[in-house]
Amino acid sequence: MLSLGDCRYAFIVVGLIGVLVFNVPSLMLFVHLPGGERFSELYVLGPGHMAEGYPFNVGAGVDYSVFLGVVNHLGESACYEVVVKMRNATEPLPNATSGVQSPLPMLYGYEVFLAEGQTWEEALVFRFDDVAFGANVSSVGRIRVNDAWMNVNETAVWDNVNNGYYYQVFVELRLYNATGSSFGFHNRFVGLWLNMTSSM
Amino acid sequence: MRWLVNVFAVLAVVCLVFSVPLGLAIGAEEASAVVADADTALRGAFTAALNAESVGVNVSGLMGRMNDAGVALTGARVALAAGNYSDAVSRAGECKGLADGVAADAGVLKNDAAAQASLWWVTVLLSVTGSVVFVVVLFLVWRRFKRYYADRLLGCRPEVAA
Repeated sequence: MLSLGDCRYAFIVVGLIGVLVFNVPSLMLFVHLPGGERFSELYVLGPGHMAEGYPFNVGAGVDYSVFLGVVNHLGESACYEVVVKMRNATEPLPNATSGVQSPLPMLYGYEVFLAEGQTWEEALVFRFDDVAFGANVSSVGRIRVNDAWMNVNETAVWDNVNNGYYYQVFVELRLYNATGSSFGFHNRFVGLWLNMTSSM
Repeated sequence: MRWLVNVFAVLAVVCLVFSVPLGLAIGAEEASAVVADADTALRGAFTAALNAESVGVNVSGLMGRMNDAGVALTGARVALAAGNYSDAVSRAGECKGLADGVAADAGVLKNDAAAQASLWWVTVLLSVTGSVVFVVVLFLVWRRFKRYYADRLLGCRPEVAA
């Protein structure tokens, strides 16, 4: 049988736990626990919504489709701009280390608004036009991204190591800063290497 | 004489029909300004949603509507770049309408949430009252238990071990 002293301790413990439980709603008003790491995801999936089947050998006059996705883990709502660009192997990519976006012109931009934890996914359909091949060089005159045609006039020289004319369609993520009322590069980009071929 | 009136009437109608597109034609500058207005409205709506979120409003639904406005704005930019100014203005108008709706709703939700938050003292009062009642009840139970314990102890008969 427990002694009276032991029972007193048990009552005191139950009393303290009860007081704590009753005060949790009030504590939640004033105590805010720190969240986890804050970041954004940017990804590109193949036409089947899987990380496979990405277009590689491409040509003129054919639609190629991939899916772009953004996930917000910033702890609050965010406004993103998903920017599609194109380059050849010698033109600059964004620099995630120094936080500088690529100086190349934007071909297409998606406006994306996400609350914390929400995911956005959208198709990116592109097609090349005015593709020409010369002596060890290829050129692309126009690209259509979704429903927008753009003149790009990109050229690529023959890559002896990888055997192809390589271009890259890449996507940068920009984040809107409501305080400064401007978009800034969010240190995220993904790209697709494409080998331009004459016959598809 | 009547045929002359008919000819003039037909000419007037033809002139009217051909002059309408000229009157409604939208220039690149005007379309560009309308798209810029829509862009500003969309950023303003986002800021309003952020302000609402800062006082505890769940803005998931507002973000969905803003994505619809974003699609309209993208369409307006594409149409503007393609020289389709009337389409650009139309889509920018759609974007601005959606953005203005979101900004207004965010303001209402923020005010509601602020009014709810101003009732924080009710939560504190309920917590304190609940704690006091719990401690008092526990104390009464403890006193009753102590008496029961003492009675039970006094009722025990001593036994001598063989």
